[in-house]
Amino acid sequence: MLVYSHVELNEVLALAMFFAFILLVFTGFPVAWILAGLAVLFTCIAIIVDIDLGLFTGVDWLYTSITVDRVWNVMENWVMVALPMFIFMGLLLDRSGIASELMTSFAKLFRRVNGGLAISVTLIGVLLAATTGIIGASVVLLALLGLPVMLRQGYAPMLASGTVCAVGTLGILIPPSIMLVLMADRMAMPVGDLFLGAVFPGLLLGSLYILYIVVLGWIKPDLAPKLPGEGSFDFKELQRLVLAILPPAALILGVLGSIFFGIATPTEAAGVGAFGALLLALWKRKLDLPVFKEVLTETTKTTAFIFAILIGATAFSLVLRGLGGDELIERTLLNLPFGPTGVVITILFCTFLLGFFLDWIELTLIILPLVSPVVVALGFDPIWFTVLFAVCLQTSFLTPPVGFAIFYLKGSAPPDLQATTIYKGVSPFIALQLIGLGLIFYFASLVTWLPAQAY
Amino acid sequence: MDLPSTWLSRIVDPALSRIAQGVSVIWVILMAVIVINVTARYLFEQGRIEFEELQWHLYSMGFMLTIGYALVVDAHIRVDVFHERLSHRARLWIDFYGLLFFVVPFCLVMLWYGWDFFIYSFNIGEISASPGGLPFRWFIKSFVVIGFALLLLAALSRLSRLYAGLFTRGT
Repeated sequence: MLVYSHVELNEVLALAMFFAFILLVFTGFPVAWILAGLAVLFTCIAIIVDIDLGLFTGVDWLYTSITVDRVWNVMENWVMVALPMFIFMGLLLDRSGIASELMTSFAKLFRRVNGGLAISVTLIGVLLAATTGIIGASVVLLALLGLPVMLRQGYAPMLASGTVCAVGTLGILIPPSIMLVLMADRMAMPVGDLFLGAVFPGLLLGSLYILYIVVLGWIKPDLAPKLPGEGSFDFKELQRLVLAILPPAALILGVLGSIFFGIATPTEAAGVGAFGALLLALWKRKLDLPVFKEVLTETTKTTAFIFAILIGATAFSLVLRGLGGDELIERTLLNLPFGPTGVVITILFCTFLLGFFLDWIELTLIILPLVSPVVVALGFDPIWFTVLFAVCLQTSFLTPPVGFAIFYLKGSAPPDLQATTIYKGVSPFIALQLIGLGLIFYFASLVTWLPAQAY
Repeated sequence: MDLPSTWLSRIVDPALSRIAQGVSVIWVILMAVIVINVTARYLFEQGRIEFEELQWHLYSMGFMLTIGYALVVDAHIRVDVFHERLSHRARLWIDFYGLLFFVVPFCLVMLWYGWDFFIYSFNIGEISASPGGLPFRWFIKSFVVIGFALLLLAALSRLSRLYAGLFTRGT
């Protein structure tokens, strides 16, 4: 009886810890330090419970001090070196103006098509996937780059804002994205495999977006008008456009390709990719010293906040696991009356809900490691599950009333853009996401085929 | 958030910014090391262990040295859905209590055990376990201590500024 009640009390503490996190997140205090602080606080509580109630929780200072070793594991993790390098590469492409040049070139290329600008925004989002760490930043980037142009061209604000939101979140899914690097690390799977697994799902979603825009532009041309100006290209102009588009596209495909063919590890690909971006910016004469300094400072800041959350989440997860949180989740999930597929759907749905107020970093670091052993034990492919998890997160960021992407778009868009307009604008994209999610769910080979072909 | 500066923040904040500037150079060196290592691997058919170790040495120095700096420039991610609607004063209090009860204790725990972790490595004169790896493993391990010490300093500096903002009139 005593043993039974100790297990229960442990788990009450684990639950309290988790809900304390959810509650405190809304105070707006930095997420990294809420996680770290709760680890310390619940260690204190566990010790007090041990002493005062005479129960053994197994969590004391010595246990929590394992965080030091875990931080060290992060420090000596060679694969994670790719993270600052991808951030550096993305920021170089963005801040040097290569991104906006690409945007203009694509827009010219698609100017005879209704919806051409929206298609350009989609392609930019897909190509610059690695640019930014967090959803907020990529949505803001596209909002500044694409939204004013589309609105000036007479696009329906609904379509314009919906496209920016959807594409801004799609970026986190398309390799080489830093989210996938972090997910692979937590799942203890090769980064290359996850990158390759995400290629077709990412392209699938991107194609669905473009298909929707083309069809809409065809049915209702007023919503997405063509660019004015003469219709045909001369050879010179085409040459100029190709020259503007080809190098950055080749750079990103080169990074992916070298991982695919086993020529380089993700770390090497990231470092060489950053070098390539640097050469590209220099060759285009778009890099002066102030811009370069800004890129480096931003790399430092982004890297610092990602690793701060990584450290906080490490401490938090350690204490949560010490209190039996993972067993609690495993038992709850396995006791669900739905069968294995139902369990996966439940997990994805919970992830979807949590994605309303947490960015992918927290969910990847805390939720993914908690649920993945269950999914793997049920016999599902870990890469397939991770990609589904990622698509699910991305959908969540799009969904009103508290989608991250909507929130950030509202913050950076012209003030007369109503929230309801954005809601209406993202709705069709949410439908597309659900179609994509369903396809990936039923056709697992969309994910698993490519990694099996590599090396 | 606009906060008054204090004698502590006037010492700590510029120092941490200077360190962050130095770290900016680390990313360029890291990139160069990777490119050189890849080139060498293709020219001489072998990568070098010390180059690979140098890469994670540089990267871990990079983030351990700047986690405190991110606090100084307020770059850490917040969930600001509700935060934005709170009064300026309420936000100051949230940061004040958060730093005092969450960040400072966490730093103290990490420093306490991080010091043991470092000293142990130093006393046994630990080197890389790989043949051809870098010597002085304790050197890179010292960055656990340095990193959390800098974070503690940044937290104390910001606490002093929040205190001044909350209790000083007319600033």
